[in-house]
Amino acid sequence: MARDKKFYLIGQRPRELLFYPPGSAPLRRRRLPGTRRHLLKWRSRANPKSLRQERRLADKRPLWWTIGLGALLVATPFLSNSMITIAAIFCMFAAINVLWTLVIGTAGIFSLATLAIVGIGGYAAAVLNVWLGLPWPLMFAAGGLAGLFVGGFLALPSTRLDGLYYALLTMGFAEICRVFVVQLKALGPTNGSINNVGSFIPKDWFLQRPGLLLGFGGAFLLLLLSLLIFRIVNSERLGMLLQTAREEEAYAEAVGIDYRRARMYVFLITSGGLGVIGAFYAMFYMSISPSIFSLDQLLLLFAMIVIGGLGRSEGAVIGTAVVVLIDKGMLELGPPRILLIAAIMLVVTLFANNGLVGIREQFRNYRNRKRSEARARRTEKGGEVMPEEAIEFTDKQEIYYRRFQKRLRDHLKTLITDELIEEHRKSPLGKHSDALNRVLNYFRRGEMADKYAIMRQPDGFHRYKIIAFSGERGAPPRLVDDRIYEDINEAYHAVFLLRVNDLLES
Amino acid sequence: MDVLGTIIHGLNLAAIYGLMAIGISILWSSVGMINMAHGATFAISGYAAWIASSAAKPLIAAAFGKTVMAKLAMAGVTVGAGTLAGAVFGAIIYLLAFLPIHDKPNFAVRSLIVTLAINLATVQILLWFFGPRQRGLPKLFGFGKFEILGVPIRYDQAGAILSTAIILGLVLFWLRVSRKGLEIRAMMQNPEGAVLSGISVRWTALPVTMLTGALAGLAAILLSQTIFVSPTAGALPLIKGLTIALLGGLGSVPGAVAGAVVIGFLEATVGALPFLGQRYVLFAQFLFIITVLIIRPRGLGGLLDETRE
Amino acid sequence: MPEVLTIHGLTAGYGPLRVLHEIDFHVEEGERVGLVGLNGHGKTTLFRAVSHLVGWQNGSIRLNGEEIGGARSLGPGRRTSGIVRKGLAMTPQGDAIFPGLTVRQHLDCGAYSRLAWRERRKRRDRVMDIFPPLRKLEDALVGKLSGGERRMVSVGRALMVEASLYLIDEPSLGLAPKISASVIEALFSLPTEGRAMVIAEQNVALLTGRVDRMIGMHAGRLRGDVGHVGLE
Repeated sequence: MARDKKFYLIGQRPRELLFYPPGSAPLRRRRLPGTRRHLLKWRSRANPKSLRQERRLADKRPLWWTIGLGALLVATPFLSNSMITIAAIFCMFAAINVLWTLVIGTAGIFSLATLAIVGIGGYAAAVLNVWLGLPWPLMFAAGGLAGLFVGGFLALPSTRLDGLYYALLTMGFAEICRVFVVQLKALGPTNGSINNVGSFIPKDWFLQRPGLLLGFGGAFLLLLLSLLIFRIVNSERLGMLLQTAREEEAYAEAVGIDYRRARMYVFLITSGGLGVIGAFYAMFYMSISPSIFSLDQLLLLFAMIVIGGLGRSEGAVIGTAVVVLIDKGMLELGPPRILLIAAIMLVVTLFANNGLVGIREQFRNYRNRKRSEARARRTEKGGEVMPEEAIEFTDKQEIYYRRFQKRLRDHLKTLITDELIEEHRKSPLGKHSDALNRVLNYFRRGEMADKYAIMRQPDGFHRYKIIAFSGERGAPPRLVDDRIYEDINEAYHAVFLLRVNDLLES
Repeated sequence: MDVLGTIIHGLNLAAIYGLMAIGISILWSSVGMINMAHGATFAISGYAAWIASSAAKPLIAAAFGKTVMAKLAMAGVTVGAGTLAGAVFGAIIYLLAFLPIHDKPNFAVRSLIVTLAINLATVQILLWFFGPRQRGLPKLFGFGKFEILGVPIRYDQAGAILSTAIILGLVLFWLRVSRKGLEIRAMMQNPEGAVLSGISVRWTALPVTMLTGALAGLAAILLSQTIFVSPTAGALPLIKGLTIALLGGLGSVPGAVAGAVVIGFLEATVGALPFLGQRYVLFAQFLFIITVLIIRPRGLGGLLDETRE
Repeated sequence: MPEVLTIHGLTAGYGPLRVLHEIDFHVEEGERVGLVGLNGHGKTTLFRAVSHLVGWQNGSIRLNGEEIGGARSLGPGRRTSGIVRKGLAMTPQGDAIFPGLTVRQHLDCGAYSRLAWRERRKRRDRVMDIFPPLRKLEDALVGKLSGGERRMVSVGRALMVEASLYLIDEPSLGLAPKISASVIEALFSLPTEGRAMVIAEQNVALLTGRVDRMIGMHAGRLRGDVGHVGLE
């Protein structure tokens, strides 16, 4: 049977699929045109198990992004009309949330004015289009400029107020915008909304399948653009500057990083982007209404980024997907779908430190912590090696030798009973039981240092004392105690008892 | 414009918003939690009071007829049910938003999100069970008005102002002199020192959440003397309470009282001005708060603290 | 004398780091034990393990015969208040103080038992007798006191209630020699009946000749009795 078993070389598993190129092939990496960045993060390393040089993708996120977004792009044209609308809304909200993540996560500004900026951008673009006849391509620019302007206005107090106070201020700003728009005399009869906005979707395609597909395409492009902005801002210079400020503001300032200015820039960039999204929003629906400023809408958006995980673009997109699918995809469920969203929000927040995307990392941290705790708990005292000591031994054999000794001692301790001691007292020499033999053998093998011996006293033939060797050449043995034994067997037994005592105490 | 009437109206509003704001402020300063479910507590208490009062109506009518005792019993049932429901809901918030995560990383943000989710869910559940219809509570203080110095004051206004002043005074006095109050302050300043002084964080937080819940319940009953109970009734008091708590400087009770008075008068004045009216109330409030925050980034409480030193 | 604190096989640490190794330690009633050792050798961790504030711990800890140790690590601090109420008084390293409370309120915080709360005035007086400088500062905010005064408040807080075991962590840390001597002096002026005291110190000279036993601590292990110094 054992003969039939096939052995593989170390590190080779049968039918192992390798998705990465062989490490021996020459490394050819293309740079992105105009930059010094590479598209994928290939890293070479020596695999310690297979002893081969291999090449791995250190950061697999670009692949997941491509797979996810590609699947969305390919699948959408085959979906029903309502599903296409949902996909387009998902892309639009995801774009908003990615930019919002930039503000909350990267810049660390707890702003709730996101939708207000979107709304202002949308209204500015719509007003210019409807009243002044601005052609639709220029609406994007108008929305972006409006967003930039409002962003500049809102960014001023952002460095002065912290956390919740700024959140309150921005929430108030949204409310002011809503009231202002509703009260605007020019919009009187339509209750604050602007209709018949010009769009990149031709009028007769609106709400038809080609129109919907076009809308989805635009929204998808918008999502890609916002992801690009996220990448450029978050992982390049501005993001790095802000990373230092996130760790320790005072220190960042002390080393000359003007994090306030960096925050302002991030806020301005995202505000411009949000304004453009606002213009797109107005075009997509061909109208815009004050409901975009409402608190309910904002809460829904907040639920999205919270469920996904604050501060990461994956979180923003995944959270948006979950909430939009429930909110828009399960319309037949009625009001309970808000209940469902709230429940998801509750469960995710209670169990995950940072949303859905943080679960993997949290679980790994938890597992590692538990493992290392268990390892530290398991190791015991008494010759065996502590984990933090083990790295100090160059001869690893020593560790196993100590572990063996420890186990041996633990076993021998169980053998020592009153009967065993009585047996030894009766006849210290001669034939013994198995247990006593084992114990005595262990004692005989003991190290020289502190080994007990019997010393005959010079003043009499049958007078013995117990001594212990120092274990060092030249150093005299020491006297263990002053007691004098008249009988050699009694002395043998006394030594035995001392050794048993030492064993039990170790 | 009726100046004195506006003042009374402002005081009435200040009393109710003050109950909310002080609840939020105390909860923040003692357990470090922004309670976004305060509005849900408000709505739940209103409904509990409504159910209890309509259930007790025939019983009380049978027992007392139309005497003064009947009125008193009605008031007792309504207030009792409202505050009790508020306290119970506070305990639920404690169980969901405090107990599981209070020693986990970023508790402040997570508890805010959890309470927000509780708020969302509660409003939906109330809508589901009771529908969007508004319900009226029995008038605790009766109809009618009396005059002081020629100013007509409605009974419910006077009742709200007086009862709030008394209850807030009692609560603040209790927090100042009792051992619980001392524990709460100790816990907020140094949690590790608190546990070494035999103060259990978990058992000290429970009465705080229940107390603030009961305050919200009382606010619900008092406000429902003028408006009606509905599932979304909690949203506006929550926003008002939150803004007042922030305006006063989070955690500062005197700041919250000052903020409540200022906001109450602002609302009464704006509502009474002929060219502004009710629809501009929130607008004016936010404008005012933004101005204050830009001048004093830490709210009014920061101002008071600095002048005290 | 009955044993107030019995530690058997205590292992404790933070995450992968194991700080205490199989510690056996006994304190009898009426004893004053000095725990000496350098920084980072586990004195504070031993105290924190007794009060259940470390990351994880194993082994048995008995306070007045009642098991308060345990093998699991709950969230640190969850059981501390319960242990404190079983008769432990601990002043942590540095000052675990409440900067916004006055000295009087701060001392009242220590009176957590019903009896102590009822006669808190008397007990405050007693603490003030031990630390006379506090008498003048009764209404001052603790956050504004000097380091020595804070230490007095911190130690005084632990004296407000009848605990059977006092764990005093580094009473001289960061204080001028004269002030730390007076704090230690005050600690030793307390009567010993019915209570035991363990003082962790780096400065051996402050304790020699005044404690009943002195135990050394090295690399997370106790190093026998450094010296037997009888008080009789």
